[in-house]
Amino acid sequence: MKKAKAGLALTMVAALLLGMAGCGSPTDTSTDAGSGADSTAGSSAASSGASSGSTSDLNVMLETEVESLDPQIATDGTSFEVIADFTDGLMQMDASGKAVPAVAQTYDVSQDGKTYTFHLRKDVKWSNGDPVTAKDFVFGWQRAVDPANASEYAYMLSDIGQVKNAQDIIDKKADKSTLGVKAVDDYTLQVELNVPVSFFPSLMYFPTYYPINEKFFESCGGKYGTSPSTTLSNGAFVLDTYEPAATSFHLSKNDKYYDASKIKLPGLSYQVIKDSQQALMSYQAGTLDTTLLNGDQVDQVKDDPSYKSVGAGYLWYIAPNISKIPALANQNLRLAMTFALNRESITADVLKDGSTPTYTAVPPQFATGPDGTDFSADQKKFSAYCAYDTAKAQDYYAKAKKELNASSFRFKMTVDADDAPQKVAQVVKEQVEKTLPGVTIDLVVEPKKQRVEDMQDGNFELGLTRWGPDYADPMTYLGMWVTKNSNNYGSWSNADYDALIQKCTSGDFCTKPTERWNAMFDAEKIVLEQAVIFPLYTQCNAEMVNSGITGIEYHPVALNRVYKNASKADS
Amino acid sequence: MKKYALRRILLSLFTLLVILLVLFVLMQLMPGSPFNDEKLNAEQKANLYAKYGLDQPIFVQFFRYVGNMLTGDFGVSYNISKNTPISQLIQTRLPISIAIGGMAVALGTLVGLVLGIIAAIWHDTVADTVATVISVIGVSVPSYVFALALSYSFGFRLRWFPMLFTAKQIFASSVLPSVSLSMFTMASIARFTRSEMLEVLGSDYMLLAESKGISGPALIFRHALRNALIPIITVLAPLIVDLMTGSLVVEKIFSIPGVGSLLVTAIQSNDYNVVISLSFIYSAMYIGIMLAVDILYGIIDPRIRLAKEENA
Repeated sequence: MKKAKAGLALTMVAALLLGMAGCGSPTDTSTDAGSGADSTAGSSAASSGASSGSTSDLNVMLETEVESLDPQIATDGTSFEVIADFTDGLMQMDASGKAVPAVAQTYDVSQDGKTYTFHLRKDVKWSNGDPVTAKDFVFGWQRAVDPANASEYAYMLSDIGQVKNAQDIIDKKADKSTLGVKAVDDYTLQVELNVPVSFFPSLMYFPTYYPINEKFFESCGGKYGTSPSTTLSNGAFVLDTYEPAATSFHLSKNDKYYDASKIKLPGLSYQVIKDSQQALMSYQAGTLDTTLLNGDQVDQVKDDPSYKSVGAGYLWYIAPNISKIPALANQNLRLAMTFALNRESITADVLKDGSTPTYTAVPPQFATGPDGTDFSADQKKFSAYCAYDTAKAQDYYAKAKKELNASSFRFKMTVDADDAPQKVAQVVKEQVEKTLPGVTIDLVVEPKKQRVEDMQDGNFELGLTRWGPDYADPMTYLGMWVTKNSNNYGSWSNADYDALIQKCTSGDFCTKPTERWNAMFDAEKIVLEQAVIFPLYTQCNAEMVNSGITGIEYHPVALNRVYKNASKADS
Repeated sequence: MKKYALRRILLSLFTLLVILLVLFVLMQLMPGSPFNDEKLNAEQKANLYAKYGLDQPIFVQFFRYVGNMLTGDFGVSYNISKNTPISQLIQTRLPISIAIGGMAVALGTLVGLVLGIIAAIWHDTVADTVATVISVIGVSVPSYVFALALSYSFGFRLRWFPMLFTAKQIFASSVLPSVSLSMFTMASIARFTRSEMLEVLGSDYMLLAESKGISGPALIFRHALRNALIPIITVLAPLIVDLMTGSLVVEKIFSIPGVGSLLVTAIQSNDYNVVISLSFIYSAMYIGIMLAVDILYGIIDPRIRLAKEENA
């Protein structure tokens, strides 16, 4: 076998050398074509010199192209990350994910919690020299809800931010000028909300809430954000090469940035790499300073000190179709299944990328409460309803069999056609079938878009799915299981639960953070007590970060990677 | 002849229209929407559909699209590069794909010819066996396997060429993708050249040429190869088209900002207009090449033209 492989390699090399020898003239013409385009490549930026700290660019990779650099149109983590490189909102995230001042120096909240007044710094400039004013925010926010733009993240202002009139404007019942945001003067922005939203300041680092310079935007004539010349920066970096869906582009330090003295990197060089082998080799060859790994690659590098696992925020869980599948309407059967799942084994033996077993409906490490603690730090608090315990699983299973008067069950489990979910589903199937004899799970593998559509239509039995947090509050998860929510895939309905959630989102608890926090625990308890979902694990991304690099901040919400505080030691 | 050409052209245009319709129907059958299915509720999706006219009946969309296309408007991308006109996306990417594809064709043809000639002249010797082994590997191993192998050996280990496409070194970073793409062409051409050459070399007129005292390179290149080339040119046409489809994965591996990688991303994210436009362009190129070959056949060999006119 080995011999055969060596032979194959040899012949390939031979073919290649022959290829080289024979390729003289036709390829030369391509060189000329190439060098023409060469001069347009913006590689000169690196030489523009850094005032302090690192002398060379940070070379980073993306798994997908940027979808849009328009903050009100973008919806994906990649685009958000790049937009935030060159744009500052009212607030920004600190290393721990807390909202700290950026363009807004301070803010006040009215007594009733429904009016926020942001006081803007006066030294923030756009890269064309214009000052950043409160009007820029008004313009940006109005664009987000303007039905003509059909912004996919308009709900960040309506459902989540509860900005006054946002919903009516989206529904075309009111003009965008009625949006509850007002420039009192150039440096004072006043926002009115329908109900108090305790986490409102933390929404301000979400790109949908970023400012746009109206005059400049209009001058771009619909081409805003499609090239360096149609993009304005008020942030740490300035875009200097970019085209739509570019596979590589570059940003340089913004010397006019109000916090420029803190920026140590002279620039950021982005490269899109979709093939994970190519990405790891580029990292090992030194052309990348940091890269993302897939689960199989982790084994090769896990002893390397540069390897780290960072929280991606996604909770993976199994949703049973409670309303349509009679057997799954049985709570004891659902509990039996959730107790039969060995989550430790899934993360340690299957995923191996640092993902953590999860026993709560809200994953840990993204929402911090009024007392400063993580909402889901204690993974054992609901162990009476969600844990790995085969004895309990069998007890519940015996009860369920009796109640349902059946001895065997067969379910289909719908799974994404991607690598990791399929592997996880296979193990889930084995675990459940082993612990609960008589239960059979058939896997139905579908492309993700099809799987999501089927689950939203209630056309499934069990479904393996995931949810990433949109904002740093447990409600981004708990809000899913209210009656009729489109992400309540199993169409579970519970009046007590709905009432609790209502109290937290628009009722009494809005202004009482501690009560609200406790009520959310109560709500989460109902979800687990009734096994509305079977939580599995919280996804982590496996990354390699070169030892000379410090200060890259990773967040599970909004901005997954923040590079502006990073520095690179000279090698 | 003119009538024949005209009929072929009209038929091609009609085929393109049918392809467009089929593409439209296929897009409708794709599950999910181009938008963020997971996070959007029904009202938001409806709003987005209305914005892009996707709420209209499919035939309305179809005729509107065809109408716009005639004016050079291929629509905008829905998600892989939101709201960017597709013509703008293609403008910068098509030349890159064509350049790399062109290099691959040139390289593959040249090396393939050399290998084929060697195999034919010294047939049933070690040289023939080596050439045959190379072409069997070239035909049977997919281009992305070559891409990964070349990237590992010549990019990562030896550092001769960049592993990824970069605008700073367009030529150097095009070498590995072109070589991996050229393998199939090279192998096919080599095999075809070998058999054509063997046939030609065994023919009577070659015997005559040799008996007249012509020898060496003149015999091979002026007499044998020229006659063998005609059928080879005809197989080259579909091979060129194959290169475009083969480039999809290779472009992805080398992060080449070409149309192939764009199409892959577009299909994965249901970006209707991008998928339709690119598939349409690919089809148009394919049909265009086939049409050119068809007409050329007719010019080269009147028997084909006459036979086809009788059948038509």
